[in-house]
Amino acid sequence: MKHLNSGTKKLTAILAVYVLLAVSFYALGGQQLHIRGAETDDMVTPTGDVDEIYANSKITQPFSIDADHITGVTLYTSTYGRLNDCSLNVSIERAGQTIASATKPAGELGDSAETVVSFAQPIEITPSEPLTLIISSPDGSGGNAVTVYYGSSISVSKGSVDKELNESELARVDGQTLDGILCFQVTGQQNLLFGSIYWYVVAALGVALAAYGLTLVRKMRSGASSPTLRFFAAIGKYRFLMEQLVNRDFKTKYKRSVLGVLWSFLNPLLMMLVQYVVFSTLFKSNIPNFPVYLLTGIVCFNFFNESTNMCLQSISGNAGLITKVYVPKYIYPVTRVLSSSINLLLSLLPLFLVLLITRTPLSIRGVLLIFGILCLEVLALGVGLILCSLMVFFRDTQFIWGVLITILNFATPIFYPESIIPARFMTIYKLNPLYHIVRFFRIVLLDGVSPEPKAYGLCLIAALVPLAIGIVVFKKSQDKFVLNI
Amino acid sequence: MEMIRADHVSMRFRLSADRITSMKEYLVRLVTGRLKFKEFGALSDVSFAVQKGEVLGIIGHNGAGKSTLLKVISGILKPSNGSVTVHGNIVPMLELGSGFDYDMTGRENIFLNGAILGYSKEFLTAKCQEIIDFSELGEFIEEPIRNYSSGMMMRLAFSIATVVEPEILIVDEILAVGDADFQAKSKARMLELMGGGTTVLMVSHTMSQIRELCDKVLWLEHGTVQGYGETAALCDKYEGKLNSSKGDGNGSTENE
Repeated sequence: MKHLNSGTKKLTAILAVYVLLAVSFYALGGQQLHIRGAETDDMVTPTGDVDEIYANSKITQPFSIDADHITGVTLYTSTYGRLNDCSLNVSIERAGQTIASATKPAGELGDSAETVVSFAQPIEITPSEPLTLIISSPDGSGGNAVTVYYGSSISVSKGSVDKELNESELARVDGQTLDGILCFQVTGQQNLLFGSIYWYVVAALGVALAAYGLTLVRKMRSGASSPTLRFFAAIGKYRFLMEQLVNRDFKTKYKRSVLGVLWSFLNPLLMMLVQYVVFSTLFKSNIPNFPVYLLTGIVCFNFFNESTNMCLQSISGNAGLITKVYVPKYIYPVTRVLSSSINLLLSLLPLFLVLLITRTPLSIRGVLLIFGILCLEVLALGVGLILCSLMVFFRDTQFIWGVLITILNFATPIFYPESIIPARFMTIYKLNPLYHIVRFFRIVLLDGVSPEPKAYGLCLIAALVPLAIGIVVFKKSQDKFVLNI
Repeated sequence: MEMIRADHVSMRFRLSADRITSMKEYLVRLVTGRLKFKEFGALSDVSFAVQKGEVLGIIGHNGAGKSTLLKVISGILKPSNGSVTVHGNIVPMLELGSGFDYDMTGRENIFLNGAILGYSKEFLTAKCQEIIDFSELGEFIEEPIRNYSSGMMMRLAFSIATVVEPEILIVDEILAVGDADFQAKSKARMLELMGGGTTVLMVSHTMSQIRELCDKVLWLEHGTVQGYGETAALCDKYEGKLNSSKGDGNGSTENE
């Protein structure tokens, strides 16, 4: 009877925590759970202007955008460096019908600079439908007019790339086709399914959790066994051992070094400093807040590198123990990941320091990093399980992994912007699980917002798929470990 | 109540000369079709059951499979065939001091080694002083154990291993460690443990010990059960065989 009570109590506690998590996630996720910013391609480099826009001229630019609403248009404008007493009208047409219009006085336009024209209300559109941008000036005249720029290429760090343009995409001035498109970018918003069904999903998962919990409580009462119950029993049983092993790893790591645990802070800081000096001249201009960008990448990658390498040796290095005392073998890789996690948490302190120094605005959404950290740990554990199993049978694994981890170091955007990766390689590039997790960290830290729901999904996949593979490989081979180490 | 039950346990090893530890070797053999392994049967079809409080002695020559059997029962090795059922917590005293970390102090190692042996935190906190007292290490307990002599290390290991009163105790040779005084003390401790209603599985080459302590004996030879039953009768038979084979030099290689 007492057993039953403790079971229901635990279940109630778990459900309460679940509800709390669901509500706080909703609050932290904010707007990003409902809408996602969308925009057309990057603005082309201005190479020419369309001349003064007079009252009777009309510039048209076909476009389409994958969004549910249009919020504004960015143009590259010029006022000829003078004060004009006219205005610029920007409107959007659907098959000849004007669906949005905004007028901006010439005084508010940028001179050879970008000008943002926002519509009073977001315009509802069908995603990707063909639309036309119309630029005109109701009161422009000679000597009192503004202009917009056009171009046909996109500048990259050194040089430029011609943009492939169809005849139908080109801009027209009073019906005459220009040799390029306007320097423009339409911004909009995409509705996300996730936000609208969030509470239904939460409720459904909650009901499933409660139902599963109830069956577990019933099993607990009748003394039946289930994998989940056994899992929790094992955690209770081996918790102390894991504590001791983590404690040992941590104590012996810095034993006999003068600075000791300080190295956990210093190591990422010094690495960041070195790479900052080396790479800042190369990429600085492209990456806002380069120190934080760099350190985030280094912290994530360092953890992955350290924990997988520690896992790699976890079985073969504990041969003396494994052949003499029975302990579930997964304890060894799991404790290795846990002890590197302590290091990861310690290295978040220098990251925090750099955030303060660079005056990056801190947001409560930083709490969302917990999700990223958990995914990173699960990923490391999954890879670690595969590596330690292979290592028992083939000692070559450590050398192969040494090479692979170097490849991974360069295949993850740690010190370079991901925009330097050619678009056609992007699909392969995104197969790297670390990419998604590092990206998650950066959105939370640098932008101070929650990543879009898809990013959570990708992080989960990046973590759980390797874990599932790792568990299968480990389970299949663990009985042969003793015979091969 | 039945504490340990072994049903038709067999254990086969691949011989280490054929073991492959590099991928190149593996691939070469796979391609040349020589991916065959010589197998060695360490145990074949061993069955027995041990009741609560019983002391079972395992005897046999070197390489008879005694230690392998103990490892199978402790769960370190998984039998190739058959099954082992164990009720109760096992403390294996197979090799003392496994899992000692040489950079940590004696006290830290008590907790580490104790955790590996499956002791709880509360138990170790309560018994820590008892362990230190029994090991006679005194103030050295705060020293990293890399500075210990081997005798000190064994004393500490023995003290940790025997502090608990396990339901099942597995002993590979009665451990007598340290100097003469400590040897006497540790032997007394072992006998105390074994007499205290604990179920014991012990391997020994000292027949007088087996006769003195065991309720039953399992005689293994080349991995198969040669005899299983009453202590006195089996010990007589074993010693008789030992004496008769002394002439051709097989029995004199008894040292582990």
